[in-house]
Amino acid sequence: MTSIKEKKMQKPSVSNWFKSGDPWVWLNAGAVAISVIMVIGLLLLIAVRGLGHFWPADIVEARYEVPGQPAYKLVAERVESLEVPAVQVREAGIEISEDKEIVSRTLMKTGNRDIYGSDFRWVIDDFLTEVTKPEMLFAAERHEWGNLYGYLQAVKESGTVIAETQDKQATDSALATWESFEKSIERALVIHEDIYQIEKHDIGAINHGLERLRLKQRSLELNDELTPAILADLDADRAVFDQEYKVLQERLITLYGEINRDTFVVEAMDGTISELQVAKVVRAFRPNAMNVFDKIGFYGAKLWEFLSDDPREANTEGGVFPAIFGTIMMVLLMTILVTPFGVVAAVYLREYASQGWLTRVIRIAVNNLAGVPSIVYGVFGLGFFIYFMGSSIDQAFFPEALPSPTFGTGGLMWASITLALLTVPVVIVATEEGLSRIPRNVREGSLALGATKAETLWRVVLPMASPAIMTGVILAVARAAGEVAPLMLVGVVKLAPSLPLDGNYPFIHLDQKFMHLGFHIYDVGFQSPNVEAARPLVYATALLLVIVIALLNLAAVTIRNHLREKYKSLEM
Amino acid sequence: MSEMKAHSIDISAMQRSQQTLRIENETPCLTVNNLELFYGDKQALNGIDMIIPEKKVTAFIGPSGCGKSTLLRCFNRMNDLVDTCRITGEINLHDTNIYAKGTEVAELRRRVGMVFQKPNPFPKSIYENVAYGLRIQGINKKRILDETVEWALRSAALWDEVKDRLHESALGMSGGQQQRLVIARTVAVKPEVLLLDEPASALDPISTLKIEELIHELKEEFTIAIVTHNMQQAARVSDYTAFMYMGDLIEFGDTNTLFTNPSKQQTEDYITGRYG
Repeated sequence: MTSIKEKKMQKPSVSNWFKSGDPWVWLNAGAVAISVIMVIGLLLLIAVRGLGHFWPADIVEARYEVPGQPAYKLVAERVESLEVPAVQVREAGIEISEDKEIVSRTLMKTGNRDIYGSDFRWVIDDFLTEVTKPEMLFAAERHEWGNLYGYLQAVKESGTVIAETQDKQATDSALATWESFEKSIERALVIHEDIYQIEKHDIGAINHGLERLRLKQRSLELNDELTPAILADLDADRAVFDQEYKVLQERLITLYGEINRDTFVVEAMDGTISELQVAKVVRAFRPNAMNVFDKIGFYGAKLWEFLSDDPREANTEGGVFPAIFGTIMMVLLMTILVTPFGVVAAVYLREYASQGWLTRVIRIAVNNLAGVPSIVYGVFGLGFFIYFMGSSIDQAFFPEALPSPTFGTGGLMWASITLALLTVPVVIVATEEGLSRIPRNVREGSLALGATKAETLWRVVLPMASPAIMTGVILAVARAAGEVAPLMLVGVVKLAPSLPLDGNYPFIHLDQKFMHLGFHIYDVGFQSPNVEAARPLVYATALLLVIVIALLNLAAVTIRNHLREKYKSLEM
Repeated sequence: MSEMKAHSIDISAMQRSQQTLRIENETPCLTVNNLELFYGDKQALNGIDMIIPEKKVTAFIGPSGCGKSTLLRCFNRMNDLVDTCRITGEINLHDTNIYAKGTEVAELRRRVGMVFQKPNPFPKSIYENVAYGLRIQGINKKRILDETVEWALRSAALWDEVKDRLHESALGMSGGQQQRLVIARTVAVKPEVLLLDEPASALDPISTLKIEELIHELKEEFTIAIVTHNMQQAARVSDYTAFMYMGDLIEFGDTNTLFTNPSKQQTEDYITGRYG
């Protein structure tokens, strides 16, 4: 009551307003609001740019005539538009009417890289005329050379025409040709899947077996234990593999013959007629003829392909599954390594080491370790782990494989260890914090029952500190999953031929190089030969990386909350 | 409140009438010889000599900071946990000096159990709390554990209250129940001595009464040493009482005599409330 009276008595003034503390509340709220807006803005930007890529855009057909140059027909997808000052365009030698100050330019994806040499071109909107969206225009995604746009003219089976049309409208003959084209693609995809399975899995397993036999023989040779009997055994094993390989190879030859049976004839925008193999096509669609539901279905299929498929065409097409897999696998391995190591170190520092100046120095050093730039860890990982430890391991355990390195080169294990080293300070600090918060009387309770210090730690203190440990692990995961720079030195590659986890013994291949979403972004965005085509994928991959990290964190947070509930603090 | 008081007077009256207690007639369980304790440079105990009689309740009273808890913690070497703590003199448990070199401290603490001021159950189930000491000893047979847990909980007068929720968290119990659980947990490893460091000071009167009744029952089997702030409590539950002041043992004798006819002026001043 008194305060209200006092307020009434006070005259409203700026100094009173400051005294009341309101400006600080506003300042703080403002800072929070800006942070939230920035985070949401970032996520929205990458989400919109990345996710828009999978939507089947309409294909336009238009006449494009720049004054003073011959006109031509353009068949393309619109990608993005940009407003530019007219002066700039005039300086480039293109005539623009004098009254215009700004012209809008559009980036068109024309595809057909094999015919024109590039898939994108910028056009000035003012010179586009006769814009139409013909229903029979189709786009075909291919295993190589990017998209193809054009009109289907014929489908051939072993050289014989089975359907053909000259129409560019949706006439019966055009639709019938399209239908037989779709059927032919479906058939080719089934065969393609068979070929893929054989080449990747069956032959992969045989190669793996042959390599193991070779290493076995080499290792026996090195130890002077290679007797003729063993050699005969090895050769017999090899013969079995060779036999299997021959069978598979014959089957492959048949399949390749079958898959190359069908061809189709297409007319591109400049009138070029080309005959291409149906086997080269991943999917063909006519976006101008699709309704919203067709497009949503198509979108889902594309998105799923992105998440579950291997990359194609220097990573600019296809999916990123190996990168997702590599990222998660590396982070999990890192977690498995860093947690026990960090906890053990923290337990020693907090519970056993005498708290003198040395311990203080170590603690400061550990804290500072968290601030060392990550690339330094990469250099250290390369120099110490790979070149020193890795080559020692190779000489001791894998002499038969030399001179090709097994662990003496970057790989999943070294990357995980390097990142574990990078994140161990976080775990140590968090665990120490947790240990120091365990009430003294609980420890004494355990000791008073005849438990030793170690038993007390193991049975009471560490379980109670586990939520704090998990907090450290969460921070470590967040840091490690987003780290790219050190990985480039210790085992990440732009394209790994196989996943680090497969059906071949010993199932987890710690020595193998792997793909990583973070590096994938860098590679696709900045090392790719086709930057325009890759840009949307950069956003999509970035979004995916954020989601993967968020999910990993969410999993860790869930575990922590569960532990917290279980070991609720004993404050009374 | 009044009911509780009547009840506790009953107990003391009944007990007192039974026999006259003489410290000379008791079997010593713990013998303290010239015990001095230092925290860094500061001396906290000045040459204590006393015995803790077997299967009797010995209470330690005195003002805050007089060293009674420190002395109690010497009996199971809890002071070892304090880095700066240094001890001279000896304490014999029966005939062995617990401060001799090579003493197994963990085994000593199993034989001399301790209950603290604040209930400190582990964040485990009720059952696991009681079984903790047994598991530490490597006893994992379910039948033995079940039997011991039930016996210990019955000893701590807790069985009927918790028998249906043995596998729920101990942290969900009331403060008084938690303290009895801690007693049960200590009893479960069958120690010889129970050290109670102000076991009821954090509890409400009803829980306090239950703990006091429990002490009465437990002394049939265990030697008990209890530190308390509450002189009425000391008078109610103990057979012998030690009055400490500023690190000295001022007076030690049977409770009846000490409270009714103290031989030292300081003791009389304290128990009549003139200081402390």
